[in-house]
Amino acid sequence: MENYLVKPMRRVITLIGSATCLLLLGLYGAGCDFLDPTRVENPRTTLEDFQKAPEPVAALLPGLRAQFARALGAVVVITEFVTDNFSINGTGLGGTVYDFPRDIKPVDMDRTSRFTGPYWNLQELRALADFLINEVAPNDERATPEQLAEAHYYRGMAYLMLGENFVAVPVEKDGSPVPAAQLLERAINDLEQALGTSAQLPDGVSLDLAARAALARAHRALGHAAPADQFAQQVLAADPEFLFAQGFDASSIDNAPWAYLVARALQEMQPLPRLDFLDPKYIDRESPIPVAKAEEMLLIRAEVALANGDETAARNFMKAARALAASRPVAEFQDDDPRLDNDLNPRPRSSSIVIADEPGAPFRAGLVKDRPGLVTVPLVSATSVTDADIDAASGTALIRLLYLMRQEILFLEARRMHDLGIRLPVMLREINTNPNLNDGDLGTRVFVPDYIPPANEMDLYDPLILYDEQGNLLTNQVTIRIDMNRVLAESRGLVVQNPLLPGQ
Amino acid sequence: MRRALLFLAGCLFLATASRAQNATLQGRVLDARTGEPLPGANVVIPALTRGAATDVDGLYRIEDLPAGTYEVVARFIGYREGRIVVTLQPGATVTQDFALEEDLLQLDEVVVTGQGTSIARRKLATDVAVLTAREIEEAPVLSVDQLLQGRVAGATIRLQSAQPGQAALIDFRGITSVIGSQTPVIYIDGIRVDTELGTSFSLGGELTSALAELITSDIERIEITRGGAASTLYGSDAASGVIQIFTKRGQAGRSTVTIRTELGFDQPETRFLKDTGFSFPQTREDPNDPNYGKTRFIRDNFLKNGFYQNYYVGFSGGSPTFTYNVSGRLQNDTGVQPENENTLYALRANLQAQLRPELEVSFSGSYIRSQFQRLFNGQSIYDPLTTFEVGDALFFSGAETFEEALRIFLLPDVDEGVHRFTAGSTIRFTPSPLFSNKLTVGVDMRANEQRVFLPIEFEPVSGNRGELSRYNRDFSVVTLEYVGTINYPQMGPVTSTFTFGVQGFREDESIITATGTTFALPGTKDLDEAATVTAEETRTQIFNGGIFFQEQLSFFDRLFLEAGLRLDGNSAFGKDVGLQTYPKIGLSYNLHDEPFWRESIGRYISVLKLRAAYGETGKFPSPYARDVTFQATPFRGESAPRFDNPGNPELKPERTATLEAGFDALLFQNRLSLNATFYRARTSDALLYVPEQPVTGKGTQLRNVGVIENVGVELAAEIYVFNRRDLQWSIGLTYHGFRNRMVDMGGAPPFAIFEPWQRVEEGHPVGEWYVTVPIDTNGDGLPDDSEFQFIGKTPYPTKTGSISTSLSLFDNRLQFYALADWATGSLVADYGSAWASFNGIERTVFPTRYDLEGNEIGKFRYREAFIALLKNGDYLKIRELSLRYSLPRTLLRNLPVQRASVTFSVRNVYTFAKQDLVDPELAGWAAPGDLQLGGVQSITLSPPRQFRFAVQVTL
Repeated sequence: MENYLVKPMRRVITLIGSATCLLLLGLYGAGCDFLDPTRVENPRTTLEDFQKAPEPVAALLPGLRAQFARALGAVVVITEFVTDNFSINGTGLGGTVYDFPRDIKPVDMDRTSRFTGPYWNLQELRALADFLINEVAPNDERATPEQLAEAHYYRGMAYLMLGENFVAVPVEKDGSPVPAAQLLERAINDLEQALGTSAQLPDGVSLDLAARAALARAHRALGHAAPADQFAQQVLAADPEFLFAQGFDASSIDNAPWAYLVARALQEMQPLPRLDFLDPKYIDRESPIPVAKAEEMLLIRAEVALANGDETAARNFMKAARALAASRPVAEFQDDDPRLDNDLNPRPRSSSIVIADEPGAPFRAGLVKDRPGLVTVPLVSATSVTDADIDAASGTALIRLLYLMRQEILFLEARRMHDLGIRLPVMLREINTNPNLNDGDLGTRVFVPDYIPPANEMDLYDPLILYDEQGNLLTNQVTIRIDMNRVLAESRGLVVQNPLLPGQ
Repeated sequence: MRRALLFLAGCLFLATASRAQNATLQGRVLDARTGEPLPGANVVIPALTRGAATDVDGLYRIEDLPAGTYEVVARFIGYREGRIVVTLQPGATVTQDFALEEDLLQLDEVVVTGQGTSIARRKLATDVAVLTAREIEEAPVLSVDQLLQGRVAGATIRLQSAQPGQAALIDFRGITSVIGSQTPVIYIDGIRVDTELGTSFSLGGELTSALAELITSDIERIEITRGGAASTLYGSDAASGVIQIFTKRGQAGRSTVTIRTELGFDQPETRFLKDTGFSFPQTREDPNDPNYGKTRFIRDNFLKNGFYQNYYVGFSGGSPTFTYNVSGRLQNDTGVQPENENTLYALRANLQAQLRPELEVSFSGSYIRSQFQRLFNGQSIYDPLTTFEVGDALFFSGAETFEEALRIFLLPDVDEGVHRFTAGSTIRFTPSPLFSNKLTVGVDMRANEQRVFLPIEFEPVSGNRGELSRYNRDFSVVTLEYVGTINYPQMGPVTSTFTFGVQGFREDESIITATGTTFALPGTKDLDEAATVTAEETRTQIFNGGIFFQEQLSFFDRLFLEAGLRLDGNSAFGKDVGLQTYPKIGLSYNLHDEPFWRESIGRYISVLKLRAAYGETGKFPSPYARDVTFQATPFRGESAPRFDNPGNPELKPERTATLEAGFDALLFQNRLSLNATFYRARTSDALLYVPEQPVTGKGTQLRNVGVIENVGVELAAEIYVFNRRDLQWSIGLTYHGFRNRMVDMGGAPPFAIFEPWQRVEEGHPVGEWYVTVPIDTNGDGLPDDSEFQFIGKTPYPTKTGSISTSLSLFDNRLQFYALADWATGSLVADYGSAWASFNGIERTVFPTRYDLEGNEIGKFRYREAFIALLKNGDYLKIRELSLRYSLPRTLLRNLPVQRASVTFSVRNVYTFAKQDLVDPELAGWAAPGDLQLGGVQSITLSPPRQFRFAVQVTL
């Protein structure tokens, strides 16, 4: 009886015991990975994965291209708001603070996300290029000079845009702020390493020419008239219609200004009425943003000519720029933007409106289009300035015209804030996280020259109420309160002569 | 170990084999008060590890017993143990009946959650809440979260809205973490199940949930631990608490067939709707307008009564060695707004086989198929309810009449289907009364697909020529648990139970979303016919495993000391982080069992148990947050990498240390029972997304830098007004109040959980409202500007409670139950009024704004005076009324029916609120993956009034 009971019992215990041992062996044994429940696989590329990439430089380069596109879009959106070019309608960017340059604080740079923030995206572009150039390339035997030249170009562009638009920024972890002048020098250093190769940027653009165009821009910003002129001349000699425009991707990184110009229910980017005819330059998700173009080279050469006292040469360059702008493509666009301001009052939206650039100035026609409606918009460049205007102007008036042409031809290309001399502070997050950057240090306050009017006056025009409740136009005369181009011509002079560089 | 096992087994068999002539013990187990038989009660002879369960007539029979004198114990859930010493003569059949007293404090009730093994509540140092079948089987609920509403002290349960497929936000004991969901872990028959809150596109703020289709029938009992020492043995996963659901087992004896038919209707709750969208002048004032006079359009044309039907068939029974409980259910609910139909099929089986006296194998499994339709909601302009209530439906749809606008708004199809398969097996091996083993292996697999189709005809609203999106989520979790228990032989007044075990789970989740836009022709719902198709994928895997030990010492069977430890490893921990240890220690003292007590205070306080415990629990970080990663996005035909996660090799779980103390008492000759627990839970190493320096090009990294504290009290009381055989009436009360504070953020900057308005900042409650408030800057007493301010209130209630009453008449044949729950302390954002003001409708009055000279310059906009949108969130809701009549046995005598009952019930009867613009009990918008605090709503569908009539017959 006892045996009868104990035997099967023993068998059961042996069975369960062996099964458990087997199970545990399977679970934790080295050779039984298929039973190991602890193994997890990160579906993203980890650092360990990255180190196994056969051609890491080639793999990272598309990342730099994409980040350049992100940074460019973000810089355009925010800096254009800060200028007289656009005012903010609605709250999509956390309020209207960018219309009030003197009120901009580091915390306002935090309001922009990793997708819309100019500071954030420029630093990420710089950091990604640093990683590629300093850490990845030295260990990648297959990296080509063309790839490295392209990487230097993007880092140079990051430094250039940081140097044009910020007072001072750190450029490494725990770094002290580097002033704008030194950022521009770093830009020149990188851009020079992009010269002389046969490398092409996406869309087949010559990297060499794009780098030379950027060098002209960087030298202008530093006040180096001769090299600025020289690089501009080289670009024009190689390709009189040179254009590098950064394309976008409808399904991932789209044209950032397009969202605020066209796509969003509240079209937050509302242009200064006298620039209405240029808007919206980017009519779809993939619209390219011009990065470098021959018109700008001509305008830089005009500026250097004026600095050298040669008004005739300057006029010729300006007329060439006007003619080139007029030859650039345009598109028909059904614009549904009802042109509303923050109080939901219509802004100028009728072609019968005439505009004075400031009180007392003559009224000009043809600057405002009928909206909502079908409009013809320039895709690269356009200007309201005529050859006759150019021929008729001299002295300060000619400088004013040059600023106006730069404003119109380089509209929505993030050049205006630099021309106005306004520079942004770093993000509050940078101040909060960097032990060597404290509130009050260089770079932590917005820089606004004294000639910039108070509050948001650059964006204002009169009268505010233009239409009655039925939508009928009450007056067709609109006067912009301040002609910032006249102010710049009178108070700043030429950028190449008065670069307003902190740290220089 | 094997030798010890064999030795123990040998002892047992030597003991049981030394018998000569067998005796039989039989009898009935009855309710001492009503005399009703208690089916399913257990009668055991502990010394012999023999026992039997009673059948439907309360009869039990244990055969083949060796002669001798034994203590026989009868146990039944909800009753105090009955112990009688019986002497069995060789060959005799002894009849011994038991009359069990109701266990008003349920101290003899055995719980397993958080203890590793079964332990009577009287021995526990913590409070484990238990809901028994009797409390929940008639509840007219659609999901488990609704079942907990008002029934568990310390639980805050807020539905997002009344659309199908959704579940509630559940918080136990405050907010212990600022990352991820606060939903407790749920086990069904020992199998960990999916509780993910966001399993779909949001479509305006509301998400479908894996809780929605969890079982609500066949539940035997639910045990709830609310974190702290009671949850410690669950380790890195238990800071939000643990819920264990046990399903019904079959009972040996006659087979039964239970048929239940439930029909009913749902009546929409309209008190928070104003139909203000139609206050546009043209709809009100012009009699020639086609929409003239339609001032109740939502109530008259949009909402409707829903029809509900639920059919259940269950088969139950078995022999002494094999029992089964198998059931099928079919439920359909048409919903109270259009396109809200929900159909659910469920099959369940619960099987037990007693292979040998010492070896039991059980299986529990279910398959659920749920299909439902939804509407866009909340923040979406495709949401008909919000658009008609506070928007301009004619403008958005381009239609002339409201009827036509509604037709257009109902064009989109949002369909979701869920397949869910849950199964597991438990082996119990008890070679001796001194040593028992339990091994559970189980899996829960859930696959759901949501398809959102915007047809070409919807173009006036959507602006595109057709769009189809699908959201596919595949989830599986595998559970493995082994528990061994050693009961040491009694040494004088001391007994000892040692429990040890291994427990682990692995979760695999895969989400694929795809969107196709622009279709040439109507009729197609194929993604690949769209002009452009984009797809995204997210996959996560996580493993958590640990071992645990617990020792429980009992002194004189009235003073109990427990100590336990869990050691945990997890695939989400950083590479430099080893096993995590979670200790617990607790003490409970049954003062009423002291001899001195009975003679003195015992007359007034018949039961008084004191308890205190300290325990730690964890919450593991998100999978892969420890790794340095790159993430590539497609860009112009290339795969473009960028920096992703900065990486943290020191990433470890959050750790919540809870100190709690309380008592359970029965006072005034069993007229009043009281449970009270005070707790202080401090979460250290709280996970926060800490920003990197932007100069590094990197975003944020999850780091263990925060400290969060919750301090609170949980109370439950039951007043037994009458407790006679023919009349019982009791009143129950629960209360939970807590204070929450973000003590330290370890240098991480303050951040917002929801827009800027729900903010996490040191020294403030997590998610305290931080909103724009009008201010006076020049001291003239008139507001001329506004600024962000903390306003001292949270979007979640800080005090919750319930009142219930239960009345039983005519020998328990007529039962009435009522439940109301309430909450206070929150403010809820009425975002519907924000939309309204945006559209020029004044639903909420915003304060007047003045310029610096004191002239009126209009009203503040809602963004400038968000405080005006915050409404009082206090409410009291009459949640349930039910009336049940059981037909007397005399009537059924000539029918092949054992029991029959009819039940009439109503749920969501009436809401008392201090405002009528926003339903304060709803959570509203949520965002997948993040901490959900609720408290922001557009126009949101309130839970309807549900009328149910059920007939249940047991054959």
